[in-house]
Amino acid sequence: MANGKQASVTTPVPRVPTGEAELLQLLIDNVTDYAITMLDPKGIVITWSSGGERLKGWKADEIIGQHFSRFYPPEDVAKGKTDHELRVAAQNGRLEDEGWRVRKDGSRFWANVVLTCLRTNNGEIRGFGKITRDLSERREAEEKIRKQTQEILEMAAVPVVQVWEGIVLVPLIGTLDSQRTQQLMERVLNRVTETNSPVALLDITGVPSIDTQTAQHLIETTAAVRLLGAEVILTGVRPAIAQTLVHLGIDLSSVTTRSSLSAGLRMALEALKLRVVPAPVGA
Amino acid sequence: MGPETLSVIKIKEILVVTLPSDPDDSTVAALQEKVLVEMERHQAKGVVLDVSAVETLDSFFARTVTETAQMIGVMGGRTIVVGMRPAVAITTTQIGLALGSIETALTVDRALDRVMLASSTTLESFQ
Repeated sequence: MANGKQASVTTPVPRVPTGEAELLQLLIDNVTDYAITMLDPKGIVITWSSGGERLKGWKADEIIGQHFSRFYPPEDVAKGKTDHELRVAAQNGRLEDEGWRVRKDGSRFWANVVLTCLRTNNGEIRGFGKITRDLSERREAEEKIRKQTQEILEMAAVPVVQVWEGIVLVPLIGTLDSQRTQQLMERVLNRVTETNSPVALLDITGVPSIDTQTAQHLIETTAAVRLLGAEVILTGVRPAIAQTLVHLGIDLSSVTTRSSLSAGLRMALEALKLRVVPAPVGA
Repeated sequence: MGPETLSVIKIKEILVVTLPSDPDDSTVAALQEKVLVEMERHQAKGVVLDVSAVETLDSFFARTVTETAQMIGVMGGRTIVVGMRPAVAITTTQIGLALGSIETALTVDRALDRVMLASSTTLESFQ
């Protein structure tokens, strides 16, 4: 790119390339995934390409001569982001950034931008090369996946099911961290209130291990449920868990515990003054 | 929100007290006074404290309720706190307010059933 005028050709007309500069321009214009632009040392746009036009909407004569802050959202310009980027690029030779950029029509897109400082042999800054890539689709896809994963995790993390009129069951599987136990507490309490259930069974058969903090959370949940006017029965306390609890000196005496879910369920039914009896023979 | 917003209703031998959504200290203090007087006047068997409207609960409130429950106990009645909101219950346990020993129920219905059942079995045992 010898000068700005030559490099600002916008229509990629297939021609027989004659010189290196022209080949380079063909590359710049035909690359569809990137917009390649040159800036002068002050950040003024000096070349434009069809890639840039496709991505950002400006034609060459509309943008050449303008400061590259036109591509940035007003709040970033106000923060002095463009000056900062040029300074960092000049200092380190390059700068990579991911963030919002603005099109001609004002709409925004999520971009990956690489600014490269172009110096002559004696170190004088000739300008900056700016390569912009539209990552909107990737970002949207990522966002969608992240959201779905989050939803699935939240649902699966703390399922609360009503197993009987007046009894809710919370089968816990996997490690209980602080965030999950907080969710657990909220969901259990809300379900107990919604379903008007005096008994909540918390089954920890699927929990591999319990530490002091987890135990503390379970004790808190039990106390909170009690304030609502319901009881928690902690079931599925396996031998290994029982050993850990005693070795760690965790006092679970304020919580009703049972080794199996069926024992807990029987207890819950008793609390509701219900009894399971075998059907009469011949009925 | 003044003390006059406290409602005390007598149902059979039980007093049902409903608290406003954001009870201030004077309301809470008046609660103790009013409940104990009504307790004596009606010879009530128990007090049901409906807190389902209460959105914030502080240490003064917690202490007064616990104390009042003890006083009612001394006078021969039982106290049941009813309908606490999940969010309130979470805050209460997490900041460690002492309400631990108090009797609770999910709804006023359940609380009434419990008190009446207890008093009726006493009567039956005499027959």
